[in-house]
Amino acid sequence: MSARARVRRTNFMLDILLFVICILLLTPLILLIANGFKTPQEMLVWPPTLFPKDPTLQNFHKVFTETPLLQWMFNSFAFAILSTIAIVSTSALAGYIIGKFPFRSINIIFVLFLATAIIPFEVYMIPLYFQVKALGLLNSIGGLLVGYLVMSFGIFLIRQNVIASIPDELLEAARIDGAGELWIFCYVVLPLLRGPLAALAVLAFFQAWTAFAWPIIVTTRKASFTIEVGLANFQSAYTIDLSLLSAASAAVMVPSVLAFVLLRRNFVEGIAASGMKD
Amino acid sequence: MATVEINELRKSFDDVETLHGISFSIPDGAFVALVGPSGCGKSTILRLVAGLEEITSGDIYIGDNIINDIEPKDRNIAMVFQNYALYPHLTVAQNMGFSLKLLKKSKVEIERAVKEAAEILGIGELLHRLPKQLSGGQRQRVAMGRAIVRQPQVFLFDEPLSNLDAKLRVQMRAELKALHRRLATTTIYVTHDQIEAMTMADIVVVMRDGNVEQVGRPLELYDKPVNQFVAGFIGSPAMGFLPATTKVGSNEMVFSDGQVLSKPTYATLDGGYIIGLRPEHIRLGGDGASFKATIEASEQTGSETMLVARLADQEITILLRERFDTPIGDVHAFVIDPTAVQVFDSKTGARLET
Repeated sequence: MSARARVRRTNFMLDILLFVICILLLTPLILLIANGFKTPQEMLVWPPTLFPKDPTLQNFHKVFTETPLLQWMFNSFAFAILSTIAIVSTSALAGYIIGKFPFRSINIIFVLFLATAIIPFEVYMIPLYFQVKALGLLNSIGGLLVGYLVMSFGIFLIRQNVIASIPDELLEAARIDGAGELWIFCYVVLPLLRGPLAALAVLAFFQAWTAFAWPIIVTTRKASFTIEVGLANFQSAYTIDLSLLSAASAAVMVPSVLAFVLLRRNFVEGIAASGMKD
Repeated sequence: MATVEINELRKSFDDVETLHGISFSIPDGAFVALVGPSGCGKSTILRLVAGLEEITSGDIYIGDNIINDIEPKDRNIAMVFQNYALYPHLTVAQNMGFSLKLLKKSKVEIERAVKEAAEILGIGELLHRLPKQLSGGQRQRVAMGRAIVRQPQVFLFDEPLSNLDAKLRVQMRAELKALHRRLATTTIYVTHDQIEAMTMADIVVVMRDGNVEQVGRPLELYDKPVNQFVAGFIGSPAMGFLPATTKVGSNEMVFSDGQVLSKPTYATLDGGYIIGLRPEHIRLGGDGASFKATIEASEQTGSETMLVARLADQEITILLRERFDTPIGDVHAFVIDPTAVQVFDSKTGARLET
């Protein structure tokens, strides 16, 4: 067999392997969406059908009319967006300062930032809850946001990018050109950090969108649930109505999948760029 | 345009003094090159003049004003960096007009100034490109354009040609010089390349270890270096140095291998000295006062022959304006012109008038 044929065969085998992995990864997702369209009877059929025989919109209708699903989605969305804005701006500022204005005390602060990453959230979740309660922020977006305003990984990511891709001379040239420090940050540094900031935004958004433990203890009223908490509620309040839960989950997936598809390129580029020189 | 006066300038980084009281002045419109080995403090001086570092002590004047505590943007200077420091997300035109935009000049005014500068530098058709779409030489021109647009009192160049290849460097050297002739703006140019300094500057400041060794016109430094360091640093190929001794009353300088160089004025000297020989002051020759040297390497460029030879146990370079083919290891006789020889004090390194 010639070398070229061998390469072609290897590539073909790789394609098959990747295709199989792809199917394995997608099947639960497809099943979930399909379940949303099934009648309760068909849900219990064994083996499960991949495509519903008698598709119905009943589940979606029920979910949207009988539960405040849209309200939960709005809560999640507001929470995720605000958290993203906060994390992106704090990381950009802190990462830039730590990366470009190094003095001894700032390095200590940076190490402290990093140290927070090794403390599990669950450790300080309860004390934080009491603080939020004392502030009167339970059942509010503000209460959800406490703990989701700063991300130590974000600061680290931006710092690495600042060090690797923004030369000192650029900032000095801007200073000589007559730019103030804030101006430099906004018009020289931020545009150059677009990639990593977009990647961080995606990370931050999904961190908040998928948060569960914190929202479930901060929100107690149904109207202030986030989508994650709301979905969990199906299992107890609506017992075992799997088709309803599937319909709700499928509806919830739409915005997050959409966001990822739109930002996919930034996401990959930004992560790949961290720690690497242009 | 303005004069620049540097007075007893000192700079310390964390208790380590890197500039030890530098003083020199630059006449209005002059092109001054700061030259020296890396770490001599030449870039630090530039950064202090630019205001990118804080002065530890001493004064810098631009014109009649002390600028020690003035912000970089208010010093009326423009700086060109070694890596160009172009804003990667802005086009050439935006890069060049950046400072004017910050000065809140009108769009029309900015456009006119950018166009003018672009014309001078021949980059008119690049104005809408991004820096990453330019070659090294083009980026260098844009960086200069950004400086010209401001019409500063003083231009500061920090090794602007080091990132270019040899051919482009020679071309940009000529262009820079022509640009200076045209604008006649006071210019401070930092380089570690003494050829750049010699060919471009009106005045060369030679530095070593945070001190100024000598300030002077290029040929003055070449012909009358104050000490052995300047003599060795200026000139390519470099001057060769041979230890020698003499006694009061004797016209003869005796090298370590017993060969002798004589000149009547040596009669006043006594003790150990260093003899400095420029490569072009040594000729081939058999008769007269000749020296024997062993050839260790030979490079033929066609028009010239450069020899590395061992004389009195020291390596010296000999530059012949003729073709000379010799096997390595051969011993040849050379004539040294005693009037062109320089004599340095072996302890202090200072040049002696002889």
